[in-house]
Amino acid sequence: MTELVQLFALYGVIEEYRALDEYPAEQFTEVYLFQFQKLTSARVAKRHTDEKSFFGGQLHVCYAPEYETVEETRQKLQDRRRYVNRASQNTAKQHDRQLEESTESSSTDTQTAATPEIQKGSEKARIENVDSDDMGFPVLPLPSVENVSYGLHGFAQPLQLQWTTDIRLPTTEDKMGSLHNATPPVTETSKQCTSSASYKKERDLSERRKNLSPFLRFMPRTTHLESRKRKLEGQALFLNETAETETLIGPKLPELPKVDMEDHSLNVTANLIRQTMCKVTAVAEVKPVQGKTPTAKPRRRI
Amino acid sequence: MAGKSRFSASDRFEYLQGLVTEFQDTDSEDSKEQVLANLANFAYDPSNMEALRLLQVTELFLDMLTEENENFVEFGIGGLCNLSMERESRDQILQSGGVPLVISCLSSNRDETVLSAITTLMNLTTAASRAETTDSAVVQCMLRFSLTQNPRLRNLASVFLQDYCTQQQVDKAQEEMQGQSQSALGIPLPKD
Repeated sequence: MTELVQLFALYGVIEEYRALDEYPAEQFTEVYLFQFQKLTSARVAKRHTDEKSFFGGQLHVCYAPEYETVEETRQKLQDRRRYVNRASQNTAKQHDRQLEESTESSSTDTQTAATPEIQKGSEKARIENVDSDDMGFPVLPLPSVENVSYGLHGFAQPLQLQWTTDIRLPTTEDKMGSLHNATPPVTETSKQCTSSASYKKERDLSERRKNLSPFLRFMPRTTHLESRKRKLEGQALFLNETAETETLIGPKLPELPKVDMEDHSLNVTANLIRQTMCKVTAVAEVKPVQGKTPTAKPRRRI
Repeated sequence: MAGKSRFSASDRFEYLQGLVTEFQDTDSEDSKEQVLANLANFAYDPSNMEALRLLQVTELFLDMLTEENENFVEFGIGGLCNLSMERESRDQILQSGGVPLVISCLSSNRDETVLSAITTLMNLTTAASRAETTDSAVVQCMLRFSLTQNPRLRNLASVFLQDYCTQQQVDKAQEEMQGQSQSALGIPLPKD
Protein backbone atom coordinates (compact mmCIF):
# COMPACT_ATOMS: atom_id res chain seq x y z
CA MET A 1 0.00 0.00 0.00
CA THR A 2 2.72 2.45 0.92
CA GLU A 3 4.49 1.69 -2.32
CA LEU A 4 1.33 2.60 -4.18
CA VAL A 5 1.07 5.87 -2.33
CA GLN A 6 4.70 6.61 -3.06
CA LEU A 7 4.11 5.90 -6.71
CA PHE A 8 1.12 8.17 -7.04
CA ALA A 9 2.60 10.88 -4.91
CA LEU A 10 5.06 11.41 -7.73
CA TYR A 11 2.32 12.95 -9.79
CA GLY A 12 0.93 15.48 -7.38
CA VAL A 13 -0.47 16.20 -3.98
CA ILE A 14 -2.85 13.53 -2.81
CA GLU A 15 -5.78 14.76 -0.77
CA GLU A 16 -6.91 11.39 0.39
CA TYR A 17 -6.69 7.72 -0.35
CA ARG A 18 -8.40 4.65 0.91
CA ALA A 19 -9.08 1.05 0.11
CA LEU A 20 -12.41 0.33 -1.54
CA ASP A 21 -13.80 -2.90 -0.25
CA GLU A 22 -17.18 -2.42 -1.84
CA TYR A 23 -15.85 -2.01 -5.36
CA PRO A 24 -16.69 -4.94 -7.64
CA ALA A 25 -13.34 -6.49 -8.47
CA GLU A 26 -11.84 -9.72 -9.63
CA GLN A 27 -10.23 -12.28 -7.41
CA PHE A 28 -6.83 -11.33 -6.06
CA THR A 29 -7.50 -7.71 -6.93
CA GLU A 30 -7.34 -4.88 -4.45
CA VAL A 31 -8.99 -1.60 -5.28
CA TYR A 32 -7.93 1.75 -3.93
CA LEU A 33 -9.21 5.24 -4.36
CA PHE A 34 -6.79 8.10 -4.71
CA GLN A 35 -7.97 11.67 -4.73
CA PHE A 36 -5.58 14.26 -6.02
CA GLN A 37 -5.72 17.92 -5.17
CA LYS A 38 -5.44 18.82 -8.81
CA LEU A 39 -7.24 17.32 -11.73
CA THR A 40 -4.14 17.60 -13.88
CA SER A 41 -2.23 15.41 -11.45
CA ALA A 42 -4.89 12.75 -11.70
CA ARG A 43 -4.70 12.86 -15.45
CA VAL A 44 -0.96 12.55 -15.61
CA ALA A 45 -0.95 9.83 -12.98
CA LYS A 46 -3.44 7.76 -14.89
CA ARG A 47 -1.56 8.13 -18.11
CA HIS A 48 1.64 6.97 -16.54
CA THR A 49 0.40 4.17 -14.34
CA ASP A 50 -2.46 2.53 -16.16
CA GLU A 51 -1.58 -0.94 -17.44
CA LYS A 52 1.87 -0.75 -15.94
CA SER A 53 3.33 -3.61 -14.01
CA PHE A 54 3.70 -3.18 -10.31
CA PHE A 55 5.48 -5.61 -8.01
CA GLY A 56 4.66 -8.60 -10.11
CA GLY A 57 1.11 -7.62 -10.83
CA GLN A 58 -0.57 -5.14 -13.07
CA LEU A 59 -2.18 -1.82 -12.29
CA HIS A 60 -5.47 -0.80 -13.78
CA VAL A 61 -6.17 2.84 -13.27
CA CYS A 62 -9.37 4.59 -14.19
CA TYR A 63 -11.21 7.72 -13.23
CA ALA A 64 -13.89 7.51 -10.59
CA PRO A 65 -16.45 10.24 -11.10
CA GLU A 66 -18.90 8.36 -8.94
CA TYR A 67 -16.87 9.41 -5.92
CA GLU A 68 -17.15 13.08 -6.65
CA THR A 69 -19.20 15.42 -4.56
CA VAL A 70 -21.74 17.73 -6.17
CA GLU A 71 -19.44 20.65 -5.63
CA GLU A 72 -16.54 18.86 -7.26
CA THR A 73 -18.67 18.05 -10.29
CA ARG A 74 -19.80 21.65 -10.53
CA GLN A 75 -16.25 22.92 -10.28
CA LYS A 76 -15.05 20.44 -12.87
CA LEU A 77 -17.65 21.58 -15.38
CA GLN A 78 -16.95 25.25 -14.81
CA ASP A 79 -13.22 24.78 -15.18
CA ARG A 80 -13.70 22.80 -18.33
CA ARG A 81 -15.93 25.40 -19.94
CA ARG A 82 -13.53 28.16 -19.04
CA TYR A 83 -10.61 26.25 -20.42
CA VAL A 84 -12.33 25.40 -23.69
CA ASN A 85 -13.34 28.95 -24.38
CA ARG A 86 -9.90 30.25 -23.58
CA ALA A 87 -8.27 27.58 -25.70
CA SER A 88 -10.52 28.20 -28.66
CA GLN A 89 -9.63 31.89 -28.54
CA ASN A 90 -5.98 30.93 -28.75
CA THR A 91 -6.69 28.59 -31.62
CA ALA A 92 -8.48 31.38 -33.45
CA LYS A 93 -5.44 33.61 -33.00
CA GLN A 94 -3.20 30.84 -34.25
CA HIS A 95 -5.31 30.43 -37.33
CA ASP A 96 -5.01 34.10 -38.06
CA ARG A 97 -1.28 33.86 -37.77
CA GLN A 98 -1.16 30.79 -39.99
CA LEU A 99 -3.34 32.52 -42.51
CA GLU A 100 -0.99 35.47 -42.58
CA GLU A 101 1.95 33.18 -43.07
CA SER A 102 0.30 31.30 -45.87
CA THR A 103 -0.66 34.55 -47.56
CA GLU A 104 2.96 35.64 -47.49
CA SER A 105 4.36 32.38 -48.77
CA SER A 106 1.85 32.04 -51.56
CA SER A 107 2.64 35.52 -52.82
CA THR A 108 6.23 34.51 -53.26
CA ASP A 109 5.24 31.38 -55.13
CA THR A 110 4.40 31.47 -58.78
CA GLN A 111 0.75 30.94 -57.96
CA THR A 112 -1.24 33.89 -59.09
CA ALA A 113 -4.60 33.05 -57.55
CA ALA A 114 -5.41 34.99 -54.43
CA THR A 115 -5.51 33.04 -51.23
CA PRO A 116 -9.14 32.69 -50.29
CA GLU A 117 -9.90 34.15 -46.93
CA ILE A 118 -11.47 31.96 -44.39
CA GLN A 119 -14.30 33.93 -42.89
CA LYS A 120 -12.75 34.95 -39.67
CA GLY A 121 -15.30 37.53 -38.71
CA SER A 122 -17.79 35.12 -37.30
CA GLU A 123 -15.14 32.65 -36.26
CA LYS A 124 -13.36 34.91 -33.81
CA ALA A 125 -14.42 33.85 -30.40
CA ARG A 126 -16.29 36.47 -28.55
CA ILE A 127 -14.24 37.69 -25.68
CA GLU A 128 -16.56 37.80 -22.76
CA ASN A 129 -15.92 38.02 -19.10
CA VAL A 130 -13.70 35.08 -18.60
CA ASP A 131 -12.55 34.31 -15.14
CA SER A 132 -9.11 35.73 -14.81
CA ASP A 133 -7.60 33.20 -12.48
CA ASP A 134 -5.41 31.15 -14.69
CA MET A 135 -5.43 27.53 -13.75
CA GLY A 136 -2.28 27.24 -15.72
CA PHE A 137 -3.00 23.78 -16.95
CA PRO A 138 -3.34 22.81 -20.55
CA VAL A 139 -5.21 19.68 -19.69
CA LEU A 140 -8.87 19.15 -19.45
CA PRO A 141 -11.09 18.49 -16.51
CA LEU A 142 -11.55 15.04 -15.20
CA PRO A 143 -12.51 13.92 -11.79
CA SER A 144 -9.60 14.18 -9.45
CA VAL A 145 -10.38 10.83 -7.98
CA GLU A 146 -9.00 7.65 -9.33
CA ASN A 147 -9.58 4.01 -8.82
CA VAL A 148 -6.52 1.92 -8.66
CA SER A 149 -7.01 -1.76 -8.90
CA TYR A 150 -3.98 -3.86 -8.39
CA GLY A 151 -4.48 -7.41 -9.39
CA LEU A 152 -2.28 -10.38 -9.86
CA HIS A 153 -4.48 -11.46 -12.68
CA GLY A 154 -4.89 -8.96 -15.42
CA PHE A 155 -8.35 -8.72 -16.81
CA ALA A 156 -9.15 -7.80 -20.33
CA GLN A 157 -10.65 -4.40 -20.71
CA PRO A 158 -13.49 -4.32 -23.16
CA LEU A 159 -12.26 -2.89 -26.40
CA GLN A 160 -15.34 -0.79 -26.83
CA LEU A 161 -14.69 2.87 -26.60
CA GLN A 162 -16.00 3.96 -23.28
CA TRP A 163 -16.70 7.31 -21.81
CA THR A 164 -15.17 7.29 -18.40
CA THR A 165 -16.72 10.40 -16.98
CA ASP A 166 -19.76 12.49 -17.52
CA ILE A 167 -17.58 14.83 -19.45
CA ARG A 168 -16.99 13.12 -22.69
CA LEU A 169 -13.41 12.08 -22.42
CA PRO A 170 -11.34 10.74 -25.17
CA THR A 171 -11.22 7.25 -23.79
CA THR A 172 -7.91 6.27 -25.20
CA GLU A 173 -7.16 9.83 -24.50
CA ASP A 174 -3.68 10.01 -25.84
CA LYS A 175 -4.26 7.68 -28.69
CA MET A 176 -7.41 9.18 -29.99
CA GLY A 177 -7.96 12.58 -28.57
CA SER A 178 -4.57 13.90 -29.42
CA LEU A 179 -3.70 14.21 -33.01
CA HIS A 180 -0.02 13.91 -32.38
CA ASN A 181 -0.42 10.20 -32.18
CA ALA A 182 -2.59 9.90 -35.19
CA THR A 183 -1.02 9.99 -38.61
CA PRO A 184 -3.05 11.98 -41.06
CA PRO A 185 -4.10 9.53 -43.69
CA VAL A 186 -2.19 10.79 -46.67
CA THR A 187 -3.96 8.33 -48.89
CA GLU A 188 -7.29 9.88 -48.19
CA THR A 189 -6.47 13.30 -49.47
CA SER A 190 -7.73 12.33 -52.89
CA LYS A 191 -11.24 11.77 -51.62
CA GLN A 192 -13.56 14.64 -52.16
CA CYS A 193 -16.15 15.50 -49.62
CA THR A 194 -19.57 16.38 -50.91
CA SER A 195 -19.06 19.89 -49.75
CA SER A 196 -21.64 22.52 -49.25
CA ALA A 197 -20.95 26.08 -50.14
CA SER A 198 -20.16 26.94 -46.57
CA TYR A 199 -16.84 25.21 -46.43
CA LYS A 200 -15.95 25.22 -50.10
CA LYS A 201 -13.44 27.99 -49.59
CA GLU A 202 -11.58 26.00 -47.01
CA ARG A 203 -11.38 23.13 -49.42
CA ASP A 204 -9.72 25.33 -52.05
CA LEU A 205 -7.12 26.36 -49.58
CA SER A 206 -6.56 22.84 -48.40
CA GLU A 207 -6.30 21.58 -51.98
CA ARG A 208 -3.61 24.09 -52.72
CA ARG A 209 -1.86 22.92 -49.64
CA LYS A 210 -2.24 19.40 -50.92
CA ASN A 211 -0.38 20.33 -54.07
CA LEU A 212 2.49 21.51 -51.99
CA SER A 213 1.87 18.02 -50.83
CA PRO A 214 2.35 16.01 -47.70
CA PHE A 215 4.37 13.71 -49.93
CA LEU A 216 7.08 16.27 -50.37
CA ARG A 217 7.05 17.03 -46.71
CA PHE A 218 7.96 13.52 -45.82
CA MET A 219 10.67 13.06 -48.40
CA PRO A 220 14.10 12.53 -46.92
CA ARG A 221 16.27 15.56 -47.26
CA THR A 222 18.92 13.82 -49.32
CA THR A 223 16.39 12.86 -51.97
CA HIS A 224 15.25 16.42 -52.06
CA LEU A 225 18.79 17.67 -52.51
CA GLU A 226 19.52 15.17 -55.22
CA SER A 227 16.39 15.98 -57.18
CA ARG A 228 17.27 19.65 -56.96
CA LYS A 229 20.78 18.87 -58.13
CA ARG A 230 19.43 17.01 -61.13
CA LYS A 231 17.15 19.90 -62.01
CA LEU A 232 20.05 22.30 -61.88
CA GLU A 233 22.15 20.01 -64.04
CA GLY A 234 19.35 19.89 -66.57
CA GLN A 235 19.01 23.64 -66.64
CA ALA A 236 22.72 24.22 -66.94
CA LEU A 237 22.91 21.90 -69.91
CA PHE A 238 20.01 23.64 -71.58
CA LEU A 239 21.69 27.01 -71.15
CA ASN A 240 24.93 25.78 -72.64
CA GLU A 241 23.16 24.51 -75.73
CA THR A 242 21.37 27.75 -76.52
CA ALA A 243 24.55 29.76 -76.04
CA GLU A 244 26.21 27.72 -78.70
CA THR A 245 23.46 27.72 -81.30
CA GLU A 246 22.11 31.29 -81.29
CA THR A 247 22.90 34.77 -80.20
CA LEU A 248 20.56 36.05 -77.55
CA ILE A 249 18.43 38.95 -78.59
CA GLY A 250 16.30 40.97 -76.23
CA PRO A 251 16.37 41.60 -72.51
CA LYS A 252 18.76 39.41 -70.67
CA LEU A 253 17.01 36.67 -68.75
CA PRO A 254 17.72 36.41 -65.05
CA GLU A 255 20.79 34.34 -64.46
CA LEU A 256 20.17 30.90 -63.18
CA PRO A 257 22.53 29.76 -60.53
CA LYS A 258 25.37 28.10 -62.39
CA VAL A 259 26.67 24.93 -60.93
CA ASP A 260 30.14 23.95 -61.88
CA MET A 261 29.59 20.37 -62.87
CA GLU A 262 33.30 19.78 -62.87
CA ASP A 263 33.50 20.71 -59.24
CA HIS A 264 34.87 17.83 -57.30
CA SER A 265 32.79 18.62 -54.24
CA LEU A 266 29.77 17.20 -56.01
CA ASN A 267 31.34 13.79 -56.05
CA VAL A 268 32.61 13.63 -52.51
CA THR A 269 29.91 11.35 -51.24
CA ALA A 270 30.03 9.17 -54.31
CA ASN A 271 33.76 8.75 -54.04
CA LEU A 272 33.56 7.97 -50.38
CA ILE A 273 31.08 5.25 -51.04
CA ARG A 274 33.12 3.85 -53.88
CA GLN A 275 36.19 3.77 -51.70
CA THR A 276 34.34 1.98 -48.99
CA MET A 277 32.99 -0.51 -51.45
CA CYS A 278 36.49 -1.19 -52.75
CA LYS A 279 37.73 -1.75 -49.23
CA VAL A 280 34.87 -4.06 -48.49
CA THR A 281 35.37 -6.09 -51.62
CA ALA A 282 39.11 -6.21 -51.05
CA VAL A 283 38.81 -7.48 -47.49
CA ALA A 284 35.92 -9.89 -47.67
CA GLU A 285 36.31 -11.79 -50.89
CA VAL A 286 34.40 -14.74 -49.52
CA LYS A 287 31.17 -12.82 -49.25
CA PRO A 288 29.50 -11.96 -52.52
CA VAL A 289 29.55 -8.25 -53.09
CA GLN A 290 26.07 -6.88 -52.82
CA GLY A 291 25.66 -4.34 -55.48
CA LYS A 292 24.64 -1.21 -53.76
CA THR A 293 24.77 1.27 -56.54
CA PRO A 294 26.23 4.42 -55.12
CA THR A 295 24.53 7.79 -55.42
CA ALA A 296 22.64 9.00 -58.43
CA LYS A 297 19.57 6.90 -57.63
CA PRO A 298 17.24 8.46 -55.13
CA ARG A 299 17.01 6.59 -51.91
CA ARG A 300 13.77 4.89 -51.23
CA ARG A 301 11.40 6.90 -49.15
CA ILE A 302 10.97 5.53 -45.72
CA MET B 1 -2.32 16.70 -25.37
CA ALA B 2 -2.67 17.48 -29.00
CA GLY B 3 0.51 19.33 -29.93
CA LYS B 4 -0.80 22.38 -31.64
CA SER B 5 2.55 23.05 -33.23
CA ARG B 6 2.64 19.71 -34.96
CA PHE B 7 -0.49 19.99 -37.04
CA SER B 8 -1.62 23.07 -38.85
CA ALA B 9 -5.24 24.02 -39.05
CA SER B 10 -5.50 22.81 -42.61
CA ASP B 11 -3.97 19.45 -41.70
CA ARG B 12 -6.53 18.99 -38.98
CA PHE B 13 -9.29 20.08 -41.29
CA GLU B 14 -8.24 17.63 -43.97
CA TYR B 15 -7.97 14.78 -41.55
CA LEU B 16 -11.35 15.43 -40.00
CA GLN B 17 -12.84 15.95 -43.43
CA GLY B 18 -11.53 12.51 -44.33
CA LEU B 19 -13.28 11.05 -41.33
CA VAL B 20 -16.57 12.71 -42.22
CA THR B 21 -16.27 11.44 -45.76
CA GLU B 22 -15.63 7.95 -44.52
CA PHE B 23 -18.68 8.11 -42.33
CA GLN B 24 -20.80 9.19 -45.27
CA ASP B 25 -19.38 6.68 -47.71
CA THR B 26 -19.11 3.49 -45.70
CA ASP B 27 -21.98 1.05 -45.55
CA SER B 28 -20.65 -0.87 -42.58
CA GLU B 29 -22.47 -0.07 -39.36
CA ASP B 30 -19.38 -0.96 -37.35
CA SER B 31 -17.20 1.41 -39.33
CA LYS B 32 -19.70 4.18 -38.86
CA GLU B 33 -19.68 3.55 -35.13
CA GLN B 34 -15.92 3.64 -35.04
CA VAL B 35 -15.70 6.85 -37.05
CA LEU B 36 -18.43 8.46 -35.01
CA ALA B 37 -16.67 7.57 -31.78
CA ASN B 38 -13.46 9.03 -33.19
CA LEU B 39 -15.18 12.25 -34.17
CA ALA B 40 -16.79 12.54 -30.76
CA ASN B 41 -13.39 12.04 -29.16
CA PHE B 42 -11.77 14.60 -31.38
CA ALA B 43 -14.48 17.03 -30.38
CA TYR B 44 -12.96 17.03 -26.91
CA ASP B 45 -9.94 18.97 -28.13
CA PRO B 46 -10.66 22.68 -28.55
CA SER B 47 -8.23 22.97 -31.44
CA ASN B 48 -10.49 20.73 -33.50
CA MET B 49 -13.73 22.46 -32.74
CA GLU B 50 -13.56 25.05 -35.46
CA ALA B 51 -12.88 22.45 -38.14
CA LEU B 52 -15.69 20.28 -36.87
CA ARG B 53 -18.02 23.24 -36.96
CA LEU B 54 -17.04 24.08 -40.51
CA LEU B 55 -17.55 20.47 -41.53
CA GLN B 56 -21.02 20.62 -39.99
CA VAL B 57 -20.27 17.77 -37.67
CA THR B 58 -22.68 19.34 -35.16
CA GLU B 59 -25.45 18.54 -37.65
CA LEU B 60 -24.08 15.04 -38.00
CA PHE B 61 -24.14 14.52 -34.24
CA LEU B 62 -27.68 15.90 -34.02
CA ASP B 63 -28.82 13.54 -36.75
CA MET B 64 -27.48 10.63 -34.75
CA LEU B 65 -29.80 11.37 -31.85
CA THR B 66 -32.82 9.99 -33.66
CA GLU B 67 -31.11 6.81 -34.82
CA GLU B 68 -32.20 3.33 -33.80
CA ASN B 69 -28.65 2.28 -33.05
CA GLU B 70 -28.04 3.13 -29.40
CA ASN B 71 -24.32 3.46 -29.97
CA PHE B 72 -24.95 6.11 -32.57
CA VAL B 73 -27.03 8.02 -30.08
CA GLU B 74 -24.49 7.64 -27.30
CA PHE B 75 -21.58 8.80 -29.43
CA GLY B 76 -23.64 11.55 -31.02
CA ILE B 77 -24.69 13.06 -27.72
CA GLY B 78 -21.17 12.54 -26.45
CA GLY B 79 -19.82 14.58 -29.31
CA LEU B 80 -22.40 17.29 -28.72
CA CYS B 81 -21.50 17.34 -25.04
CA ASN B 82 -17.91 18.02 -25.99
CA LEU B 83 -18.65 20.59 -28.65
CA SER B 84 -21.26 22.47 -26.66
CA MET B 85 -18.60 23.52 -24.17
CA GLU B 86 -17.49 26.07 -26.70
CA ARG B 87 -19.62 29.13 -27.38
CA GLU B 88 -19.63 29.13 -31.16
CA SER B 89 -20.47 25.45 -31.38
CA ARG B 90 -23.11 25.88 -28.72
CA ASP B 91 -24.76 28.56 -30.81
CA GLN B 92 -24.65 26.39 -33.87
CA ILE B 93 -26.41 23.59 -31.99
CA LEU B 94 -29.04 26.02 -30.72
CA GLN B 95 -29.61 27.43 -34.17
CA SER B 96 -30.12 23.94 -35.56
CA GLY B 97 -32.94 23.36 -33.09
CA GLY B 98 -30.91 20.92 -31.04
CA VAL B 99 -32.60 21.38 -27.67
CA PRO B 100 -35.62 19.10 -28.19
CA LEU B 101 -33.35 16.38 -29.58
CA VAL B 102 -31.05 16.58 -26.55
CA ILE B 103 -34.02 16.52 -24.19
CA SER B 104 -35.23 13.32 -25.82
CA CYS B 105 -31.93 11.70 -24.82
CA LEU B 106 -32.84 12.14 -21.17
CA SER B 107 -35.16 9.18 -21.44
CA SER B 108 -32.54 6.83 -22.84
CA ASN B 109 -31.88 3.64 -20.93
CA ARG B 110 -28.15 4.16 -21.36
CA ASP B 111 -26.51 5.93 -18.46
CA GLU B 112 -23.80 7.48 -20.57
CA THR B 113 -26.34 8.93 -22.99
CA VAL B 114 -28.36 10.50 -20.19
CA LEU B 115 -25.26 11.89 -18.50
CA SER B 116 -24.07 13.48 -21.73
CA ALA B 117 -27.52 14.89 -22.34
CA ILE B 118 -27.69 16.58 -18.95
CA THR B 119 -24.29 18.15 -19.40
CA THR B 120 -25.18 19.25 -22.93
CA LEU B 121 -28.39 20.86 -21.71
CA MET B 122 -26.41 22.79 -19.14
CA ASN B 123 -24.08 24.04 -21.83
CA LEU B 124 -26.96 24.96 -24.10
CA THR B 125 -28.69 27.07 -21.47
CA THR B 126 -28.52 30.72 -22.39
CA ALA B 127 -30.81 33.63 -21.61
CA ALA B 128 -32.63 32.94 -24.84
CA SER B 129 -32.87 29.18 -24.56
CA ARG B 130 -33.51 28.93 -20.82
CA ALA B 131 -37.26 28.58 -21.20
CA GLU B 132 -36.76 25.59 -23.44
CA THR B 133 -33.92 23.88 -21.58
CA THR B 134 -35.56 24.28 -18.16
CA ASP B 135 -39.03 23.40 -19.28
CA SER B 136 -41.08 21.93 -16.44
CA ALA B 137 -40.90 18.44 -17.88
CA VAL B 138 -37.12 18.70 -17.86
CA VAL B 139 -37.08 19.99 -14.29
CA GLN B 140 -39.28 17.10 -13.18
CA CYS B 141 -36.93 14.72 -14.90
CA MET B 142 -33.96 16.23 -13.11
CA LEU B 143 -35.77 16.03 -9.78
CA ARG B 144 -36.26 12.34 -10.31
CA PHE B 145 -32.64 11.90 -11.28
CA SER B 146 -31.52 13.73 -8.16
CA LEU B 147 -33.09 10.93 -6.13
CA THR B 148 -31.46 7.98 -7.89
CA GLN B 149 -28.81 5.64 -6.59
CA ASN B 150 -26.44 6.46 -9.41
CA PRO B 151 -24.05 9.05 -7.95
CA ARG B 152 -23.01 10.53 -11.27
CA LEU B 153 -26.58 11.03 -12.34
CA ARG B 154 -27.48 12.41 -8.95
CA ASN B 155 -24.60 14.88 -9.01
CA LEU B 156 -25.26 16.20 -12.48
CA ALA B 157 -28.99 16.52 -11.89
CA SER B 158 -28.31 18.36 -8.64
CA VAL B 159 -25.99 20.81 -10.34
CA PHE B 160 -28.62 21.35 -13.02
CA LEU B 161 -31.34 22.06 -10.49
CA GLN B 162 -29.18 24.27 -8.31
CA ASP B 163 -27.42 26.29 -11.01
CA TYR B 164 -29.82 26.39 -13.93
CA CYS B 165 -33.28 26.43 -12.38
CA THR B 166 -34.98 28.92 -10.14
CA GLN B 167 -36.48 27.89 -6.84
CA GLN B 168 -39.96 28.56 -8.24
CA GLN B 169 -39.31 26.21 -11.13
CA VAL B 170 -38.19 23.47 -8.76
CA ASP B 171 -41.15 24.02 -6.41
CA LYS B 172 -43.59 23.97 -9.27
CA ALA B 173 -42.14 20.75 -10.62
CA GLN B 174 -42.30 19.17 -7.17
CA GLU B 175 -45.97 20.06 -6.87
CA GLU B 176 -46.69 18.56 -10.26
CA MET B 177 -44.95 15.40 -9.23
CA GLN B 178 -47.07 14.96 -6.11
CA GLY B 179 -49.68 13.04 -7.98
CA GLN B 180 -47.16 10.92 -9.84
CA SER B 181 -44.90 8.13 -8.68
CA GLN B 182 -41.81 9.39 -6.87
CA SER B 183 -39.83 6.34 -7.88
CA ALA B 184 -36.79 6.84 -10.01
CA LEU B 185 -37.51 3.69 -11.95
CA GLY B 186 -39.52 3.73 -15.11
CA ILE B 187 -38.99 7.36 -15.92
CA PRO B 188 -41.71 8.34 -18.35
CA LEU B 189 -40.94 10.41 -21.40
CA PRO B 190 -40.94 14.16 -20.86
CA LYS B 191 -44.39 15.57 -21.40
CA ASP B 192 -44.77 18.29 -23.96
